[in-house]
Amino acid sequence: MSESGRKVVIGIGLLLATGALIGWSYGHVERGLLIAALLILVWMLRSLIIFERSIHSGEFNAFQYGDGIWQQMASRFRYERDRGDRYKSQRLQLLKEIRRSTRAMPDGAIILDEQLEIITCNRAAKTLVGLKPKKDRGQRVDNIIRDPALTELLRADDPTMTVDIESPMQDSAWLNCRLVPYGAGQKLLIIRDVTERIRLNKMRRDFVANASHELRSPLTVICGYLDSLAGDAAVPEDLRQPILQMQAQAQRMSIIVADLMQLSRVESSGRAGDEEHVDVTAVLTAAARAYAGLESSPDIQVEGDASIRILGITREIESVVANLISNAVRHTPKSGHLKLCWRKAENGAELIVSDDGEGIAEEHIPRLTERFFRVDRGRSREGGGIGLGLAIVKHILQRHDARLEISSTPGQGSEFRCCFPAARISAAT
Amino acid sequence: MQASDLTQHISRRFNEDLEELRNKVMAMGGLVESQLSKAIAAVVSGDSELGLEVANDDYKVNALEVSIDEGCSRILATRAPAAGDLRLIVAIIKTITDLERIGDEAEKIGFLASRLAAMDRPPDSYRELKTLGMHVLQMLRDSMNAFARLDDAASIKIVHEDERVDDEYEAIQRQCITFMMEDPRTIKRVMNVTWAARSLERIGDHTKNICEYVIYMVQGRDVRHTDLSESAPEK
Repeated sequence: MSESGRKVVIGIGLLLATGALIGWSYGHVERGLLIAALLILVWMLRSLIIFERSIHSGEFNAFQYGDGIWQQMASRFRYERDRGDRYKSQRLQLLKEIRRSTRAMPDGAIILDEQLEIITCNRAAKTLVGLKPKKDRGQRVDNIIRDPALTELLRADDPTMTVDIESPMQDSAWLNCRLVPYGAGQKLLIIRDVTERIRLNKMRRDFVANASHELRSPLTVICGYLDSLAGDAAVPEDLRQPILQMQAQAQRMSIIVADLMQLSRVESSGRAGDEEHVDVTAVLTAAARAYAGLESSPDIQVEGDASIRILGITREIESVVANLISNAVRHTPKSGHLKLCWRKAENGAELIVSDDGEGIAEEHIPRLTERFFRVDRGRSREGGGIGLGLAIVKHILQRHDARLEISSTPGQGSEFRCCFPAARISAAT
Repeated sequence: MQASDLTQHISRRFNEDLEELRNKVMAMGGLVESQLSKAIAAVVSGDSELGLEVANDDYKVNALEVSIDEGCSRILATRAPAAGDLRLIVAIIKTITDLERIGDEAEKIGFLASRLAAMDRPPDSYRELKTLGMHVLQMLRDSMNAFARLDDAASIKIVHEDERVDDEYEAIQRQCITFMMEDPRTIKRVMNVTWAARSLERIGDHTKNICEYVIYMVQGRDVRHTDLSESAPEK
């Protein structure tokens, strides 16, 4: 029992005893006790009522002095209340700061529940996609942002997948959307303004396409004159060698320009059509035959499953095969072996070009498909590679929903594997 | 009628059916929006491939219309909806017809775009078509938003917006007539432009219809062929 509690008990005991004593002196002990008890009750009731009123008004003036149980209770109450207020204002401050930071975020964030209905969003989401947080609460998010690509993203429910959608608020602005799991069963839809990135990409593509197009016509003229000069018997002997070199370099340049144009074409067009049934085995055989007669080419083996076809564009698959083979031939000695394989795989089919040539160091593999990337800058000049082949391969495969996997061990050879999904495969008719 | 009213039924299955139907309508709206947006982009940038893509994708809109129609008939037959639910179903049946027509017009614009891409381009690269197209696209977006939010006030605004679209169409037509009179060699191209403008104007009309269905759905009164100034939202 606390100090003040004991005091109260002692005080009440004393009062009752006094009442009993006075009552006894008059000969009525029980009346004295009763009056004392009533007095205590009245006093307690009065204190209780004042205390109750103090709680409501928040002023504890009546209990300011002394150290009785009521004063103790009042000060305890006041202390707890102040502490609660302090906590509350701290929490509010924190909440305000969190709100302020989500509001300052340039990316839109929308919190969705399991049914993909909107719970809340930040300010950027309001301006980027025109959400009205109060009105749209409980709406499915794709009822407000109605881009088919976004619906696809919501259905796929894959945190690594992102889609670019056109902004519903602004003409020719682009938004990148991503759905990540959040909290218990909730989802967070993150929306980022990528207009600038898309514009830059487009500018780069347009530039490459225009530049290579503009370069082609003068090159054709130069090549034409050089060809006729090289065959002209009237050209003095001391000019013959320079002209032959010029001719070789001009041809090399036209190949580069042609590759650049092809690259910009496959890059800027969307998904490849799937009307043609490409007979990959025939393509592989034809490509192998083209190299068979060459002096420097290694032994080429073809292993094709003629029963499966790719649904895609023949010309582009041919280009993939040609690029992969010419790379492999370039990096394999004459005594080496090249294997072309076309077969069914787990989810679709795969086209494999493998060699036992010099191989590629591991750190170079991720950069192989970058344009103009060359492992060995010094040697590739005379080898004829210009570093566009694998970039073209990558983009063509992307257009066919396929992907390129490269594995290699230096000194033992490399393997280039193109994996086509089942949707792109058909049985031969 | 509020958006949340849809989830107030005793039968949970009924709630889900209605929700699903509404989500499908919004998905169809989204598809039509992207079709129209692509069609306009195809005209403005002279991209014949994009134009043909729009024309080829129209079947998706049609398929959605059929499937939503089926869903509506099923609910009508099995649930016998009343009041707000009935209005919702009726509005959906009418809205998807208009959406499908908008899809057809977008298809037409896609075709015209591929045809225009093969001809000489005017120096302004069809700026007036772009302005009209963007205006109509915004109207379509707003009307689908109004449908999702059951926003009758916004719908009334969009209905009035259609008058401005009509004015713009009128202006394009005048401009086209002037071009044709100045230089008869452009007639072939300018005719295609007028057709595209005509399609856009029709889309504006269909959008207006959708907004009228929204008003019907929310307020329960038919405002077609009436003066809209009377139908301020009841408060």
